[in-house]
Amino acid sequence: MSTASRQQGGFVEQGFREMSVALAARGVSKSFGGLKAVQDFTLELPTGSLRGLIGPNGAGKTTVFNLLTGVYQPDVGVVELGGQSILGLRPSKIASLGMARTFQNIRLFGELSVLDNVKLACHVRAEQSMLGAILRTAFSRNEEAAIEAKARRLLQLFDLDDRRDEAGRNLPYGDQRRLEIARALATNPKVLLLDEPAAGMNPQEKLALRALIRRVRDEFGVTILLIEHDMGLVMDICEHITVLDHGAVISRGTPQQVQEDPKVIEAYLGVAEESEKQ
Amino acid sequence: MDQLLQAIKDSITIGCLYALIALGYTMVYGILKFINFAHSDVVVIGALSTAVLGERMLHKLAPGATAAWYYGPLLLLLAILICSTVAFTVERLAYRPLRRAPRLNVLITAIGVSLLLQNAGQLKFLFGTEPHPVPMLIDQTATIFTVLGVKFRWLDLAIIGTAIIFMVALDYLVFHTKIGRGMRAVSHDTRIASLMGVPVDRIISFTFITGAALAAAGGFLYALRYQTVTQPADTGWALLGLKAFVAAVVGGIGNIRGAVLGALAIACVENFGAAYLHPGYTDVYVFVILILVLLFRPGGILGKAVVEKV
Amino acid sequence: MPTHVLVARAALPFLVSLLLALLLHFGVARFLDDYDRGLVMSVGINIMLAVSLTMVNGFTGQFSIGHAGFLGVGGYVAGAVTYATSLKLYGDLETRGSMLSGTSLNVDPATLSWFGQGDLLFVASLLAGGCAAALIGYVVGLPSLRLRGDYLAIVTLGFGEIVRVLIQRTDKTAALQAWDRVHPGVPAPEGVSRVFAIENSVLDPATGLSQTTYTAVSDANWFEIAPRVGGSLGFSAVPDYTSIFWVVLFAGVTIAVASRIKRSTFGRAFLSIREDEIASEAMGVDTVRYKVRAFVIAAFFAGLAGGLFAHFKSMNPNEIGFARSFDIVIMVVLGGLGSISGASIAAIIVTLLPEWLRGLDQYRMIIWALALILMMIFRPQGLLGVREIWDKALWQGLVRFIKREKSSPKAGGGA
Repeated sequence: MSTASRQQGGFVEQGFREMSVALAARGVSKSFGGLKAVQDFTLELPTGSLRGLIGPNGAGKTTVFNLLTGVYQPDVGVVELGGQSILGLRPSKIASLGMARTFQNIRLFGELSVLDNVKLACHVRAEQSMLGAILRTAFSRNEEAAIEAKARRLLQLFDLDDRRDEAGRNLPYGDQRRLEIARALATNPKVLLLDEPAAGMNPQEKLALRALIRRVRDEFGVTILLIEHDMGLVMDICEHITVLDHGAVISRGTPQQVQEDPKVIEAYLGVAEESEKQ
Repeated sequence: MDQLLQAIKDSITIGCLYALIALGYTMVYGILKFINFAHSDVVVIGALSTAVLGERMLHKLAPGATAAWYYGPLLLLLAILICSTVAFTVERLAYRPLRRAPRLNVLITAIGVSLLLQNAGQLKFLFGTEPHPVPMLIDQTATIFTVLGVKFRWLDLAIIGTAIIFMVALDYLVFHTKIGRGMRAVSHDTRIASLMGVPVDRIISFTFITGAALAAAGGFLYALRYQTVTQPADTGWALLGLKAFVAAVVGGIGNIRGAVLGALAIACVENFGAAYLHPGYTDVYVFVILILVLLFRPGGILGKAVVEKV
Repeated sequence: MPTHVLVARAALPFLVSLLLALLLHFGVARFLDDYDRGLVMSVGINIMLAVSLTMVNGFTGQFSIGHAGFLGVGGYVAGAVTYATSLKLYGDLETRGSMLSGTSLNVDPATLSWFGQGDLLFVASLLAGGCAAALIGYVVGLPSLRLRGDYLAIVTLGFGEIVRVLIQRTDKTAALQAWDRVHPGVPAPEGVSRVFAIENSVLDPATGLSQTTYTAVSDANWFEIAPRVGGSLGFSAVPDYTSIFWVVLFAGVTIAVASRIKRSTFGRAFLSIREDEIASEAMGVDTVRYKVRAFVIAAFFAGLAGGLFAHFKSMNPNEIGFARSFDIVIMVVLGGLGSISGASIAAIIVTLLPEWLRGLDQYRMIIWALALILMMIFRPQGLLGVREIWDKALWQGLVRFIKREKSSPKAGGGA
């Protein structure tokens, strides 16, 4: 499959692709020691799409996120953000190029206030110099005010503005998850990767989250890829789903197609050994 | 040529001393993932108690005479006993309450413990601030043989021999006994080890005791070799500890055999640097090596690079 | 807001520092004896060291324990600059200060100007010391800050030790000799002071005796004058320019710069590294670059402090060893990791308390050590944590804490 997609992504179509593909991974593999965590992973996210990445526990979904965001470097394969290869770049550079993420095991800046968590994420777009900040120049002052305003707007959208002075770690679990999304959005991403955004939420919160994710996509025009175990949520909001098992893509398509794919059913029902032998 | 031979001999003797100390650092780091800054002070306590107890026991000894053979092992045993008690107490009172604290806090505590041991040791009723002479436990000048003008003394043999005995014993303990398996398990993953029924706290206490015993042996051999032991807050001690830790890092922190290898490497760098470059800057050579290792092989000679889990 | 108001507000903390410095220098210092004035200067220098280290250990959560090394680099470089330049320009080591800086005793105060050419030299030497320390900070920080935090501890400790050893082992000592010893019988020219020539002691390898030669300062080249650090005896031939004014001014500037950084977007970037390095990187903070930045800025201010120290007391290898570094760490940790005001308060306490507890001298370090351990066990975030005394949240928290204590006395602690 990887060869096919590499041909598709060839030179001729480059200009067209830049327009339409926000994020592409082609033939990406990664092993740790002897363990092949991800094999020949290929994925394309059209600009503005909202897609899902699912798979049983240990299938390698978070590793895929880590490969896309530069936390790990792939052994082979290509990762492109807006048509530009981001291989070998530090995660911070990739974030500044327009990719943001949330974490499965929440990684807020616990001691910092809710507001400062979001304001920090605006830093990547800040243009002032440190000397300007020390001298408190007009430019620095205006930029700080703009950062504050932007952070407050985001917190209002996420219903977190009332708690802006609390320390991040003191928020309830569901709020922490939403704060992570707000924080990721504050980096002005083109592509947003959500790692199990609904984990630990109660049913009401999950329902609200569905609306929120849709709204984020529409209002901010970001392309979203999400990992999620809550099938109701995934099947409801994702337009297209990629299924991972044992580090390899076993199926992809619309929620309907994926749900009907026997390989997916096998993977989830735990008879994966047989499908592996085939 | 004789310079080369001398450097090799010194590297091995000093390397053995460093190794005994480095092992304590590496074992604690392997299990608790922090630099036990107080370890060098345990070495000092070993050296000073050898000197002070030796003075008490042998004050009637005629000047220049050598003590009976059994005083050496006896003092070594006492030093081990004292150091192990200190290390056990420190772990119990200062480190254990911080088992779940951030690493930085544990590191600061370790510095606090180190300062405490140094300054408490300086009190008049303990070791005071004067240097202590060490009684003649072994004839300093007795030579086994001389090659190219380089003397191989019984003292060197005693140091190397004792160190090897301790290292072999440790290797056996860690790799061939049940408690050693527990230590390796805790070092690998504390949480899973405790889920598997390994008594983690007891293993950690035992690790500190073992490390302290090795440190005591290091201190004892130091006293034997250098004949005077300075006060506990002397910066030379901190430097000795630091070099031993560097040895552990160079060998691959957390790796027991690596620590021995690293200690020999560091001793070589020092002694060859002193012989062929300039004798005044041995500390500088050691730290240059440390920075080079951290730059090009952060895992050390035998260690492997660690990937943080996201 | 009109421009001049904005400018005034931007300059406010620096103006406050200046005013405070003038006030203390001309007001309070009058009522102090030399010893107490020395204490005030020690406090100021320690505040600079503690606040600068806060930027590394407190803001970015890295752990540097060789900060005294930067004090050493800055002090020796600044001292050497003033020493060599004074000799080259004036031919002696008298201070050519002003009403603001330390002055020679035999100068009539009425003749002093507000800002002498000596002050210019002094400030230039301080900046040179700060920049040298920052440069060394970059060289040390770049390789070690890529690694995990506790390796930095070892590298910085080793670095501090290298600086100390290098200085201690530099056995060149220079003594300045009177004119008539070099030119016996020749009267000193008009305007040239008595201290004039460099004495070189060189060990003659053939005889094993030390031979002494003299070089007139005017004949010596810069290199001959500059690198004399006095080995383990210390480098005391530095004009005493440091005064309460300069110390308070620079301490104020250090605090102002640190708090401006802390409250800016850069401060949030630093703190985020401390909170979660991986998340910080994912949010676009180039963590290595920012850690190096914090380290370099901290080194710069420690170098400045070193320069002030060199022009106040004599630079000495013992002043820049482990013990000094640990003192600074204790200030930072007691004050609260990340709190500028906390570090300043702790610096005052750690400097002054031993002076008041002279009788307990042998227990002093034991008390500090116990305080450090107990603090880590019972209040690991230090006195103020990451908060500042001027933060509203700190006082709100305190009020809430007291109220809760009152309403439920049995609940204890107020968790």
